[in-house]
Amino acid sequence: MLGVLTKKERDWVESVIKDEEIVKYMENGRDFIDDDDIWERLQRNTKPDKNRIRDIIQKSLEIQTLEPDETASLLNIEDPDTWHEIFQVAKEIKRKVYDNRIVTFAPLYCGDLCVNNCLYCGFRRENVVIKRRRLGLDEIRKEAEVLAGEIGHKRLIVVYGEHPSTDAGYIADTIRTIYDVKVKTKNGYGQIRRVNVNIAPMSVDDLRLLRDVGIGTYQVFQETYHHGTYKRLHPEGTLKSHYQWRLYCHHRALEAGVDDVAIGALFGLYDWRFEVMGLLYHARDLERQFGIGPHTISFPRLEPAANTPFIQATNYRVSDEDFKKIIAVIRLSVPYTGMILTAREPASIRREVLPIGITQTDASTKIGIGAYSDRYTDQEEDRQQFLLGDTRSLDEVIRELAQMGYITSFCTAGYRCGRTGDRIMTLLRTGREAVFCKLNAVLTFREWLDDFASPETKAAGEQVLKKEIEEIKDKLPQNVYEKLLEYYRRIEDGERDLYF
Amino acid sequence: MARETSTSELFERFNVVAKEIKDEYNAHLWLIEVFGKRHSYVAGCKEDSFLPPEVIYINKRFAVVSSDWDRIPLEKKEEVFSLVRDFCN
Repeated sequence: MLGVLTKKERDWVESVIKDEEIVKYMENGRDFIDDDDIWERLQRNTKPDKNRIRDIIQKSLEIQTLEPDETASLLNIEDPDTWHEIFQVAKEIKRKVYDNRIVTFAPLYCGDLCVNNCLYCGFRRENVVIKRRRLGLDEIRKEAEVLAGEIGHKRLIVVYGEHPSTDAGYIADTIRTIYDVKVKTKNGYGQIRRVNVNIAPMSVDDLRLLRDVGIGTYQVFQETYHHGTYKRLHPEGTLKSHYQWRLYCHHRALEAGVDDVAIGALFGLYDWRFEVMGLLYHARDLERQFGIGPHTISFPRLEPAANTPFIQATNYRVSDEDFKKIIAVIRLSVPYTGMILTAREPASIRREVLPIGITQTDASTKIGIGAYSDRYTDQEEDRQQFLLGDTRSLDEVIRELAQMGYITSFCTAGYRCGRTGDRIMTLLRTGREAVFCKLNAVLTFREWLDDFASPETKAAGEQVLKKEIEEIKDKLPQNVYEKLLEYYRRIEDGERDLYF
Repeated sequence: MARETSTSELFERFNVVAKEIKDEYNAHLWLIEVFGKRHSYVAGCKEDSFLPPEVIYINKRFAVVSSDWDRIPLEKKEEVFSLVRDFCN
């Protein structure tokens, strides 16, 4: 019967949550989101004066995580000129921490079976219009071959529904399969070098299994931090209805040794100011308990999905203007973190908000199950979780980024040489990681231009590379510059995956 | 034989050696735990020079990384490798 779990599914659901893996991180039985306290702070910090804002800006520029009252003050700015200043500062912070590069990636959806029934999600189990399937390992391989061998991606975010057929064992198999793919390209070879995952909350044991196959970042969004809204949108009795099991999944990942974790909220479910505060509290609690904050923060807005009327009915839709403020305030509040803008957003919005703090974006994006190797071009509602706003190719997006003055980076070096956990935190906070970002952007962009670029994109990219190499020559020690040139020439000769 | 040191002791001892090497030879050294492609930092220097990192695998679980191997004398390198090797035996 529609929406009713099978015995196997029910048994699996009952086995997932382990209370002892929640309560150990809580204080006095309470989680770190106090809804009333957040609202009180938002109300207490209205009409912040300019001197206070200047002090907060200075703290952000020193790459320090803000206090809740400070973020609340930023969220209450009303003066347009002050907002303009905040956008400029956000841009400056991003440059300081990550230099001029934008990392690109692609999502790969492996399955849309799900035991949950979230009101806003196209994949909810009672949604009859969605075609359900799980990719086999051969299909996963084909998807990865297209992504690595034809488009040129090096980094994926792999996405799975929460279901016994896509449990940790299956996820581990898919990751091994993706890492094994190696495809000959025009001048070298293509390979996925970093597999990040967007998956459900898991136990420490399951997370260790994923750690052992070498996952990149473990990404889970809380969706909404507001307890009441969370309860309303995730029906009681479903696995996802357990707020704290989800809230502490990054803590468990860090305990399991996965020391790159990513948080996010789905904007449009509740008040956007509250959600930004929730993200800040989340980052601060990870820092407090592990000394490691979120590797990235995501801030997707709700997009239309097949047969999902909730999305049209929400009272919390975020305007384009507020979306820009969300990005800037997150950038100032958690200045070291990576920030992901996805192809949910239309090209015009991506162009506008990218300069104010974005570090990563996707392109050539397809979110249908098996969509890359099927090579379908139109969006198909019945096989997608939601509808995309930007379906441009990676080549087009890279060309535009180059014309805007940005270098596209395919760098995946950090997690392969121990720039992870609290070490990467130190490098980010001191601005030293920006140097690695710049050097590895140059090398990986060279690879991509030689293997995959259209003539127009290559021409635009060469201009950017020239400028970046000049900057490296001017700003970095001579021996670093010389090593870069050596690697650069070796890449031009067909070697791949050289990095700093 | 039962392991006599815990991983936390290994990390503490590695931190001490890494600091000595940093102070004496201006070379940055860090210890990583290997999980497939993921090489997670566990101990040692948190900063480094901007040269390419060279990973030396001690065993299936641990590797030592530096961008400055050429600054470290052979016997000091061997001391570091032994520290990690002995822990794993």
